[in-house]
Amino acid sequence: MNKLNIETIKQDKVTIDVQDIAEGIKIVVAGDIDMQDPSTLLDPLFDKVHNGAVSSGFKIVELDVTQLNFLNSSGIKAIAKWIMKLATVDAGKKYLIKIIQNKAIAWQATSLQTLTFLVPGSVNVV
Amino acid sequence: MEITNSLGFIEIKFGPRWKYIAVVRAFIQNFIAVSYSDNIRADKIAMAASELLENAVKYAQGEETLVKLQLLPETESIMVSVTNRANLEAIKGLQEIWEKVMQGDPLQAYITQMQLAATRTDSKSQLGLVRIRYETGADMKLDVQGDMVTISLTQSPK
Repeated sequence: MNKLNIETIKQDKVTIDVQDIAEGIKIVVAGDIDMQDPSTLLDPLFDKVHNGAVSSGFKIVELDVTQLNFLNSSGIKAIAKWIMKLATVDAGKKYLIKIIQNKAIAWQATSLQTLTFLVPGSVNVV
Repeated sequence: MEITNSLGFIEIKFGPRWKYIAVVRAFIQNFIAVSYSDNIRADKIAMAASELLENAVKYAQGEETLVKLQLLPETESIMVSVTNRANLEAIKGLQEIWEKVMQGDPLQAYITQMQLAATRTDSKSQLGLVRIRYETGADMKLDVQGDMVTISLTQSPK
């Protein structure tokens, strides 16, 4: 189990696994997110990650989407909502969101970079 | 959509159900990939069709949603449209969001809508159209005839 005690999620066509990394935590999302309301799945997860990252003093939260073949706009909204939480976190408690992309997947090349503009300096896409 | 000289076209009419969206998306992606070797382009158009179909399932009235796809060899363009019936309230809402997201720089419009979406407390994102505009770079049109709504896009190679 990881530092935040978040269990692996398998729902519909997506699997989400949370793993420990040296300076924080890594969220690995694989499959397709195209359900009607992904927020029911993603909002509680990102809330837990965000609150845990801030209270534990994590420096980095990685989001690995290299195996996420499709993400609908409602799913993008959920990620944007998570990122926007960083706008109200004190500088000393902020963590960096590092999004690990797969450039061969079309939507990732465009949508992921757009996420970096939401809270400048808080999101890197690699 | 008038069918002109084309490499190929498909028309799919279906009762809008969420479970069919992924099936249609995969079909469109494969249909385009057969004619054009550009998988990235096929993915982008399939994404656009998927987002339009999600809107149709959410807001359509009645059982017939029509998807049309046409490949045009002269310009190497791809045209896709989704047509469905909608009530007055849904049409008005669509026209308002259209007016908002089709103006200005596509990237800035996308960022602005993402910021707005992140603050919404309902289940709506209102990101689909602006996402299509930015990710496909397509020329998009909204046509309303009575209670019939058609959103079409023409995407040319870059």
